[in-house]
Amino acid sequence: MSTAGPNFPNLVPTARSMSPGDFASKVFRSQSGVESRVQYGNKAFDKTIDLEYSNITETDAALIHDHYLACNGTLYYFGLPQKPKSGNETFHVNDESTSASNRYSAAPFGLRYRYAEPPQFNSVKSGRMSVTVKLIGVLDS
Amino acid sequence: MTYYSGKDGTLTYNGTQVAKVSNWSISATVDTLETTVLTESDRSYVPGLRTISGSATVFYYDNAPVSLLERVVKTAVVSESDILVIKLGWGTKLIQGSCIITSAELSCAVGEVMQASIQFQFTGAPTGVTL
Repeated sequence: MSTAGPNFPNLVPTARSMSPGDFASKVFRSQSGVESRVQYGNKAFDKTIDLEYSNITETDAALIHDHYLACNGTLYYFGLPQKPKSGNETFHVNDESTSASNRYSAAPFGLRYRYAEPPQFNSVKSGRMSVTVKLIGVLDS
Repeated sequence: MTYYSGKDGTLTYNGTQVAKVSNWSISATVDTLETTVLTESDRSYVPGLRTISGSATVFYYDNAPVSLLERVVKTAVVSESDILVIKLGWGTKLIQGSCIITSAELSCAVGEVMQASIQFQFTGAPTGVTL
C-alpha cells in the first residue's frame, strides 16, 4: 500500500453516487458450458464514489484542490470523513465505527480511497466554483 | 407625492433624446445558483449573473428612430462601435447603461402610423440608477 494522505475535506456534497465494487473471483467454464466460480478474496474492492460540489465557494474548492496536491494526485490513499457521506444516515449507519455494517470507512474492510482521476474545477462566477471528484476504493494491506 | 405617467418618460441615447417615443420598458433579472447539499430539505441559492434588457417603440416621425435602427439595420457589420449609452428617464429618475440593440423592427400598416420597435440588452452594470 502506498503512503496515507490527509483525510478528504469534510464537505457535504451536492450529489453523490456510489458503486460498491466487487469481490475477486474467476469464472471457469467447461466445454459443456457448465460454469464454476472461484472466489479469491473476502473483501470487495474497486468501490467508486463520485462527489459533486455545485456552486461552492472558492475557499471550499481550494480545500479539495489542496487535498489533491497533498495526496500527490492519485498516488496516496486517504480516509473519507463523515460529511462527504452524509445525507443517507441509515444507509451509512456506523460509518465511523468498526461495525460490520460499515459501508465506507477503512475498518473493518480495510478500504481506503484515492483519487481515480484529477478533480475537475469549473468556474461558475466570481467566488463560486463547481467541483467533480471521482474516488476509488482500495484495500489496505 | 408624485405619480408618473407617460408624459414624464424619455429615452436618450448617447446624450441625445429620441423624439416621438411611444413607450419603453425595462426588465432586470438575476440568475440563481443552487447551493443545496445532500443534508438539506429546502433548496438554497446564491445570486448569479444579472441581466438587464428593455424595449422601446418610436413613431417614425421624420428621422426620430433612425439613429437607433441603423445600429442594426445597415449594410456594414454590427461592431462594438454600435454599443450605445441608453438612458431611460421619468421625471428626475433614470436608469442608464451601455446597451446593444438586439432587435430592430419596422412596421407599416394601413391606417396606422409607421413605427419602429427596438429591443436592447445592457452590457455590464448600469452606469446610473435613480429610482
